[in-house]
Amino acid sequence: MRRIKKVVSTALVAAMAATMLVGCGDSSTSSSSGKKGDDGQVTIKLFSNLTDRKNGQGLVEQTIIDEYMKANPKVKIEVEALDEEAYKTKFKAYSMSGMPDVVSIWGQPAFLDEVVEAGVLAELNPSDYSDYKFVEGSLNGYTYDGKLYGLPRNTDISVFYYNQKMFEDNGWEVPQTYDELLALADKINEKGIVPVAMDGGDGWPLCVYLADVLFKITGKDYSDAVSNAIKTGDFSAPELKQAAQLLKDASDAKLFQNGYDTQDYGAAMNLFTNGQAAMFYMGSWETSMATNQDIAEDIRTNIRVFTMPTVEGGKAAATDISAWNGGGYAVNANSEVKEEAIKFLNYMYQPDKLSKYGWENGVGLSAQDQSSYMTGNETELQKQIVDILSKSTNLSGTPINDQGTSAFKTCIESEIQSVCNGSKSVDDFLSAIGNACK
Amino acid sequence: MKKLYSNKLVIFSLILPGLLLFIFAILAPICLSVYYGFTDYSGMGKYNMIGIENYKNLLHDKVFAISLRNSLFLAIGFICIQHPIAMIIAAVLDKIGGRAESIFRCIYFIPNVISIAVIAKLWSFIYNPNFGLLNNIIKAMGGKGNINWLDEKNAIWSVLLVLIWHGFGWGMLIYYTGIKNIDPTLYEAASIDGASQVQTFLRVTLPLMKPVIQVNVTMAVISALKQMETVYLLTQGGPGNSTQFAANYLYQQGFTAYRYGYGNAIGVIFIIICLIATVALNKVFEDREEAKYRKMERKRDKKNAMQKRMMQNNYKNSVKAVS
Amino acid sequence: MKKKKRTKVVKIFMWIILIAIAVIQIFPLIWLIDFSFASSTEMFTSGLLIIPKKIMFSNYTKAFTDGHFLLYLKNSLLINILAVILVLVASIMAGFACRRMRWKLSGFVKTMLLMGMMIPIHATLLPNYKIYTELGITDTIWALLIPYVAFSLPQGLFLMTSFIESIPIELEEAAVIDGCGIYRIIFQVITPMLKTSIATVSIMTFLNNWNEFMMARIYLSSDKWKTLPFSILDFTGQYSSNYAIQFAVMALTAAPAIIVYIILNKHITKGVAMGAVKG
Repeated sequence: MRRIKKVVSTALVAAMAATMLVGCGDSSTSSSSGKKGDDGQVTIKLFSNLTDRKNGQGLVEQTIIDEYMKANPKVKIEVEALDEEAYKTKFKAYSMSGMPDVVSIWGQPAFLDEVVEAGVLAELNPSDYSDYKFVEGSLNGYTYDGKLYGLPRNTDISVFYYNQKMFEDNGWEVPQTYDELLALADKINEKGIVPVAMDGGDGWPLCVYLADVLFKITGKDYSDAVSNAIKTGDFSAPELKQAAQLLKDASDAKLFQNGYDTQDYGAAMNLFTNGQAAMFYMGSWETSMATNQDIAEDIRTNIRVFTMPTVEGGKAAATDISAWNGGGYAVNANSEVKEEAIKFLNYMYQPDKLSKYGWENGVGLSAQDQSSYMTGNETELQKQIVDILSKSTNLSGTPINDQGTSAFKTCIESEIQSVCNGSKSVDDFLSAIGNACK
Repeated sequence: MKKLYSNKLVIFSLILPGLLLFIFAILAPICLSVYYGFTDYSGMGKYNMIGIENYKNLLHDKVFAISLRNSLFLAIGFICIQHPIAMIIAAVLDKIGGRAESIFRCIYFIPNVISIAVIAKLWSFIYNPNFGLLNNIIKAMGGKGNINWLDEKNAIWSVLLVLIWHGFGWGMLIYYTGIKNIDPTLYEAASIDGASQVQTFLRVTLPLMKPVIQVNVTMAVISALKQMETVYLLTQGGPGNSTQFAANYLYQQGFTAYRYGYGNAIGVIFIIICLIATVALNKVFEDREEAKYRKMERKRDKKNAMQKRMMQNNYKNSVKAVS
Repeated sequence: MKKKKRTKVVKIFMWIILIAIAVIQIFPLIWLIDFSFASSTEMFTSGLLIIPKKIMFSNYTKAFTDGHFLLYLKNSLLINILAVILVLVASIMAGFACRRMRWKLSGFVKTMLLMGMMIPIHATLLPNYKIYTELGITDTIWALLIPYVAFSLPQGLFLMTSFIESIPIELEEAAVIDGCGIYRIIFQVITPMLKTSIATVSIMTFLNNWNEFMMARIYLSSDKWKTLPFSILDFTGQYSSNYAIQFAVMALTAAPAIIVYIILNKHITKGVAMGAVKG
């Protein structure tokens, strides 16, 4: 027995040493990219930020993958899915080493610029997509130096979801101005209910909120104001100061739940879906709440939305909304199966796939024209969102945190927590994020 | 025999696995870190050598300073809160005896075997301001129970609490082992002298536990420096970097801010700080010991010196007693 | 008489303290298990414990299948056991070479290997990721095994050398006279004498690596080698809206270690005590 043990363990050591030596000589293969087999078998690796494969957008993605594999028996698609924050970290790690073949991306400078500059993403041919019905301007975020590097999946609007029944029962009204919103917070708090559930533990929803308010102040000058500030590192402009102050006012008025700056996405959403909060500030991609069977019926059927109310003295009208093309997909430039990966990408974006299934599952708005899928059976929530978008007079573009470099994004998303909870003054906050731009 | 024991080839083959591992998994990455620490590498694409620029920036980096301060805070917290309690409990446990002793010992240690991933997630629920266990307990006791445990002011204390809770069993067990190894005749002598329980603890147990305390203090400081997993899952260093730690910070800089070079510079400094801390602690304790010895010799207080030696011998063989 | 009464009071006081600490240590786990059987909406109560309206075993079945519990448990066990074996073999060999064999650099090599104890493992995250991707061993078992073994080795070596020291040299002399080579001496004479220290090193190594997930999170991508903590990490995203299931998966993940600990309580306690005191 002992002898066997000895033999086994020595063998293990030898094997280990051997692998290490062999490994040193063979540095060309990257394990994360897909493979082409001798028999024409192709494995495509897809890296996704949609962890829930049974609901919402994740279900849509998985359905298309399954269909594609059925139609192309020689292709196997392996999915690795991580939560948004974990996804972004892992994505960066991958971009340093070698990426999966098809990846989720965000069409925003903070995410895209560095990656594209490093030549990690494959260039796509825009003429392939001329009849894919992409909404005008939606490809802009994915274009860099006139070349297309990815395709957008959604049109995202930031909204306040609210519980209509709760509003009616208590006689609350949808606020038309920012002051009304803050006044409403007092009324709701009196009832022992949380006014707005906020995912403040992640910094980005707070940044989206800040951008939303800023857009209400600056109107169509929003993009210029932000990009100037980022270019010069000078955030002392009065409108930026006012926006940060308004965010802080909201926090001081107890608009958000107790401890919002430490709670994550799930915690915030659960407050709302369990009737503990009257509103929930999030992107339009959560529209699928209305069809999520895990949520109690009297709540899920009563979810409605409104957008950020106007700010006194602000240049934006009520119908100017904060919207951008966020998530999408791209292909790894160095993939062994690049052609197959692009073929799959194109399949996903055929108008009757991602866009149509997304519509049918009520997962917000795609970046492609969806008007032909209207059946009249959509949820109230979905109709409302479409309505808001179609009546919009002006769209904001990329949120502030995503307009700078990664270092800027990391900085603002943590500093914004400090300014909200009062441990940093508005001026200190603005100078701190300014420093991150230099 | 001599020939056999100085066969170079055999020696080489014996240390080879260990040496290879050391070189491959510890030395090589450190060298690489030193190299990248001098660059402005973002993690991909081209990069430039920028000399000691990263280190210069590190000197002025407030967040890095905060993370070191937080490590210090944790170390002090462990030493001033966790360890006194652990020691007292160990002493009390030693007195109880019987089956209860081993049952309590077992219960105290349970949190220690649970994965940190579970611990951190569990405590994030316990700390939840809206339905968490902790606020519910306060409500049950008549308080308002709306404390935000993880806000900027409380977060570091909350992290400390989790770590104390998690590591309590470990610290307790080591003190307990130490106490078990104290010669019982010393206690008998004390009780003949009419010393009370508290007096016995202060005069006999505590002085004899010194070496154990030193081991535990060293471990507390090191683990405070190395802290990462719990904050990574519980607070991600937030809110606003208030619970940032060096390991978490270098991870964030390297993998989410695209400042791979800077992250590596942090890593290098971090390693140096850990080395210095360990060596310094050993030195401090060694010197004290030696000084004490000399003093005792001078006084020719043979009885005391004997006791001290005896205790050290005991301590060396300590483990046999625990079972 | 008076003294007796006083010791009784003291005794009661002691019991109260011990029980209080025990409650603090164990209550969060009871809370966890309690709510893992409830439905998600019942979480929002202000009570400390609840009696679920309906006991939801389905939480556990979901946690079991969707959390890939068996696969991850198998991976965790395999990786940890391999790590333990490799640490043992490498540390006994190196320990013997540094303690018993005669060569000039023995002291230097030993100190160098022991330095590993002071190096914070997380400082190697960035460079090691680079190295492993260059070698193409990310997402393989080696990406975990190598750092796990390398960072547990110093402690193992430290304990082993001090134990090897205490073995009388006469035994080896006798073996040499019988014509044994070094390898036979190490594995047939020395190793059997090291039973307790082997147990100690195994337990310390196991406890150190069982909980590790930072490296696993960065170096692994597919499910193939993911370890047990991933049940939870993957799950929080998947079931972000269902707390009860998250509780179930936490309880499930914690269970193997707790059960093994309770069964092997005595040995583990002894091992930890020995390891900690020596280290």
